[in-house]
Amino acid sequence: MRGMDIELRDVSIRFGGFTAVHPTNLKIKAGEFFSILGPSGCGKTTILRMVSGFLNPTSGDVLIGGKSMAGIGPDKRPTALIFQSLALFPLMTVRENVAFGLEMRGMAKGPRSDKAQELLDLVALGDQGEKTPDELSGGQRQRVAIARALAVEPAVLLLDEPLSALDLKLRQHMRSELRDIQRKTGVTFIYITHDQGEALTMSDRIAVMKAGVIEQVDTTDLVYNAPSTAFTATFVGANNMFKGKIKEVSSDGAVIDTKYGLLRGTNPKNLSVGSEAILFVRPEKMTVQSGGKKSDNAIDVKYERRDLEGAFVNLHFLQDGDKFSVHQTNVNLKSHEKGESCTIGFDSKAGMILATGELADE
Amino acid sequence: MNSLRRSFGPILSLVIVVLVGVWVIGMIVGPQLIMVEQSLWNKEIGGDAAMNSTRIDRLYNEVDTLGFDISDAEALAESPKRTEKIATITAEIDAKKSTIKELEAVEIKPEKIYSFKNYTLMGASHFFIFVKTIGAAVAVTIIAFIVCYPIAFTVAKVATPGKAALIMLFLIIPYSINELLRVFAWLMILDNNGVANLLLGFMGFDPISFLGSGAGVFIAMIYAYILFMVFPIYNTVETLDSSQIEAARDMGAPTWQIHRKIVIPHAKPGIAVGCIMTFMLSAGSFAVPNIMTRGIAEPWFTQLIYNKFFESSNWNVGSAYAFTLVIACIVFIFMMMRFFGVGIKDIAK
Repeated sequence: MRGMDIELRDVSIRFGGFTAVHPTNLKIKAGEFFSILGPSGCGKTTILRMVSGFLNPTSGDVLIGGKSMAGIGPDKRPTALIFQSLALFPLMTVRENVAFGLEMRGMAKGPRSDKAQELLDLVALGDQGEKTPDELSGGQRQRVAIARALAVEPAVLLLDEPLSALDLKLRQHMRSELRDIQRKTGVTFIYITHDQGEALTMSDRIAVMKAGVIEQVDTTDLVYNAPSTAFTATFVGANNMFKGKIKEVSSDGAVIDTKYGLLRGTNPKNLSVGSEAILFVRPEKMTVQSGGKKSDNAIDVKYERRDLEGAFVNLHFLQDGDKFSVHQTNVNLKSHEKGESCTIGFDSKAGMILATGELADE
Repeated sequence: MNSLRRSFGPILSLVIVVLVGVWVIGMIVGPQLIMVEQSLWNKEIGGDAAMNSTRIDRLYNEVDTLGFDISDAEALAESPKRTEKIATITAEIDAKKSTIKELEAVEIKPEKIYSFKNYTLMGASHFFIFVKTIGAAVAVTIIAFIVCYPIAFTVAKVATPGKAALIMLFLIIPYSINELLRVFAWLMILDNNGVANLLLGFMGFDPISFLGSGAGVFIAMIYAYILFMVFPIYNTVETLDSSQIEAARDMGAPTWQIHRKIVIPHAKPGIAVGCIMTFMLSAGSFAVPNIMTRGIAEPWFTQLIYNKFFESSNWNVGSAYAFTLVIACIVFIFMMMRFFGVGIKDIAK
């Protein structure tokens, strides 16, 4: 199996008067684990169905391996789709499920059974072939769906939120398993999810999508550390926000005038003086100040509560109706009283000033 | 039983149990047993008994004649002879009346001689009609399936919700009309000087006797029972997860394979129910063949049963015929369940 690259050229999809996907250009490299991340209804599944051939773009062209897919149906494309519901055939055994695509391609019974066994071994279900899907656990069914899709040797595997039905533990386990399978097979994976944790842990690159528009396409590190819009900054990971107007711009950043005073941060988008902006700081880059040690930026707040997550703890603060959080490792924690006055702060390199825009719903 | 009481309370569950009991015993088991009992004896086997009705008729005539004799005697002048004559005639009438009573008692409650003879009485021509009826009902069922499966699939999986509702509406509207009227409409179309032959005439063809050939029964029957095939199939196809169809297509399955491997296996219980209903209705239909054959074409077996009951007045042989049809239908049900590999439980679902 060899992955193929995918290119969307000016594709858009409209359903009647509703534009599900605005004109989009996107290149996905061969053998890449690519995620499309966005809230429900943002058009990510629509893009997936278009790549798999169940939907035709209203305009533009989909290219797989450099070839236009216009007029080519899902059964003739080098793609395989894993459905959110998995869509295993309940009346067939696991082996028949995996061999289904091969049977449809006219492979004889012997070889197709061998091939199915090989794939079941790949997903560690070698001895479950004679069971029916409903005799398997959720994670096992998941792996059957993957084996069944891989059986037809697709160059591109499309996954539509396949882990959403699993419980947390299993979901985390399946993440690394999916990643393993992708590396072993070299197939291009396009993974659709609304779960930023899934996208960050598994992907090589992520496209963040909102209301039919791709907001940002970058590596996982860049999507998290250098979001390009306010939406990405709030949708991927948590962020503290300070709204205001840019007061001053210099070579190493900008100063923003907020109701908590002047705050300093980086200015990756080169916003000009006077523009409406938001300064974002990740909770883990924020600290609770103590003694004389002061950060570049300091804000006075009231302590509210803490959420212990084991190795980490989230401290929550309130001020003027705004909420702030600080993420700390569970080492030498100081205890605070509810309502206690504290000062939180951050290094000016940790603050990112981005243009005001639509935020992700909490 | 306990779960029934838990969900409905003691009074309501008693009512339910009693009603179900009355229904099962009084309307299914009882009539069926009476019919089977009827079919197992024959009053004409007794020899003398066969003459009973003639003898009763003759005795009634004689009593009437004696009545005239009494009026004659009464017209005579008063004399001891007259009194004696009247007494003799009256005694004679009473004797005959009591004989009539005895004979009528036998007539109403004949001596029953049980045997399977009624089941062996079917002649070659009737047996041929029986086989033909069963064969025609099977053919109606197969054609109805071929017509209905695409409709059911389209409504359940292809059409948009709005269009599906529209198709359903068009399917149901004709069924709000009385079955007889629907069949009469076909009579008007297929009659010798009906619409179909009119059109054939315009196109320069000779008229075809649709009714005489028995094709009329066939066509009207498919039309009359088509919904009983559409709905069960629609109901099961509807429950199929559409992504299974897409998954099959995605893996390269051509359309006919998707139906063969995914849709039909899933819809099996519905298809079995549809086939059973269509078969039972067409094999047991009386109105449709009665209107559409009109004595021109060979009758259906149900018409023979009717004739036995109400024209030959032979309920015993009629019951035997009817029970034979019931057996044939039960055999068909089990064959269908075997063929589709479904159990009673699947069908109940």
